[in-house]
Amino acid sequence: MTPHPVLRTHQLSHTYADGRRALDGVTFTVGDGECAALVGPNGAGKTTLFLRLCGVLSGKPGQASVGGLDPADPAQRKKLPETVGVVFQNPDDQLFSPTVLDDVAFGPLNLGATADEARAAAGDALKAVGLADAGGRVPFHLSGGERRRAALAGVLAMRPAVLLLDEPTMFLDPRGRRELIELLRDLPGTKLIATHDLDLVLDLCPRVLVLDGGRLAADGPAAELLADADLMGRHGLEVPYRLRG
Amino acid sequence: MTLAARERPVPLSPLARWDARWKLAAVAVAVAGVAALDRLPPATVALAAGLGLLALARLPGRWVRPRLAVFAVAALPFLLVLPFTLDGPAWSLGPVRVSERGVVSGLAVLCRALAIGSLTLVLVGTAPLHQTFAAAARLRVPGVLVLLALLAYRYTFLLGDELRRMRTAARVRGFKATATRHGYRTLGHLTGAVLVRGADRADRVADAMRCRGFAGRLHTLAAFRTTADDVAGFVLLAAGTIALVIWDRLGPS
Repeated sequence: MTPHPVLRTHQLSHTYADGRRALDGVTFTVGDGECAALVGPNGAGKTTLFLRLCGVLSGKPGQASVGGLDPADPAQRKKLPETVGVVFQNPDDQLFSPTVLDDVAFGPLNLGATADEARAAAGDALKAVGLADAGGRVPFHLSGGERRRAALAGVLAMRPAVLLLDEPTMFLDPRGRRELIELLRDLPGTKLIATHDLDLVLDLCPRVLVLDGGRLAADGPAAELLADADLMGRHGLEVPYRLRG
Repeated sequence: MTLAARERPVPLSPLARWDARWKLAAVAVAVAGVAALDRLPPATVALAAGLGLLALARLPGRWVRPRLAVFAVAALPFLLVLPFTLDGPAWSLGPVRVSERGVVSGLAVLCRALAIGSLTLVLVGTAPLHQTFAAAARLRVPGVLVLLALLAYRYTFLLGDELRRMRTAARVRGFKATATRHGYRTLGHLTGAVLVRGADRADRVADAMRCRGFAGRLHTLAAFRTTADDVAGFVLLAAGTIALVIWDRLGPS
């Protein structure tokens, strides 16, 4: 049975002020609890899609819906942070508070939690990402992998139903990458992961969406699409080693 | 390495134990009072008090001296110019006329600058800066100002590191910072690139904050607790400042 869709786009398009069309009629749905990957070459529109879905970039109403909320509707956009969490490419963009605990509690406090509630939510999130003892540390003291996990904790503390992860394994060493994959595998909820790391896709995502030039080029089972050398080649991608004959 | 590596442990002292809100309020009153002083004797007493507080704060001399020197340098132009520009009784050193009032005024400016510098260093040296920012937020300093200060403090170092990386990259391609047209142009380009990257980063930070529900008001987990000593410290510093200002105003002009 197809899960109830929590993330839906319909003919989603986005044109930047300089006239560059970053998204062009993208239509797809992601079901509740599903983990899907968004792959494509640089400049395909992956980050723009995320920024539209979380309401950072404004657009035409009715083109997207996340947890029943339209990111283009100003009133509904205000409620989005409770529903959708975004982990950005560079954790330094996300970690700005003086301590890890402060940073992780930042979201819950913004959502109206009391200091005690925020501290508890932050503690739970730090525990979930394996940084239970790092609350008092300065974010910039953390290693690359720890920073990534702290940024993820900052989003998890808000308990969003949908997680958007933009290049989660970028800048990570092999061990940090492996730990993050294990962590993501255990996280509940709906996940959409934009990545160039096709091995990660094979590990985590049963489904893959191929985006190129702002258009959705393919949508289907990861093992099938990623093994299609023609498709991969046409869109600036390569068949992962483990799928090569 | 970024900012974190440069964060200094706060030495244990009575001033480090002072509630950051009361300390910030007291220092703000003291700085405003010292800035309003005109005469040399009250300014000298203010400087002595500022240095006394610095000693009480047990801040390391190698941290204090260069920072205090910045305040001295800022006041130096007054010390150099006023003796030769003000009228009134003067000493004659050959063809040069040195105004007595100018020397006294210049010294008063220097004392005021150093006193304000001492108070500022006491404020930033006796508590982690984020605690002082949180205290400012609790004292209802406009949220935008607190947030600007917090983010500027965080990301200045990050941008500094980017500038260093770009300078290294330029150096490995044979660039030497020389006083030539090419040298100035390259340094200009590097600085411009850092500013552009800074603007990009600011956008990304703002996006990340909005995604986590930020709507313009900074919330913090910092917990403060007022004790009688905190209030006493505030009253003492504020009363001392008021006494200095009254003395300054009542004295000969």
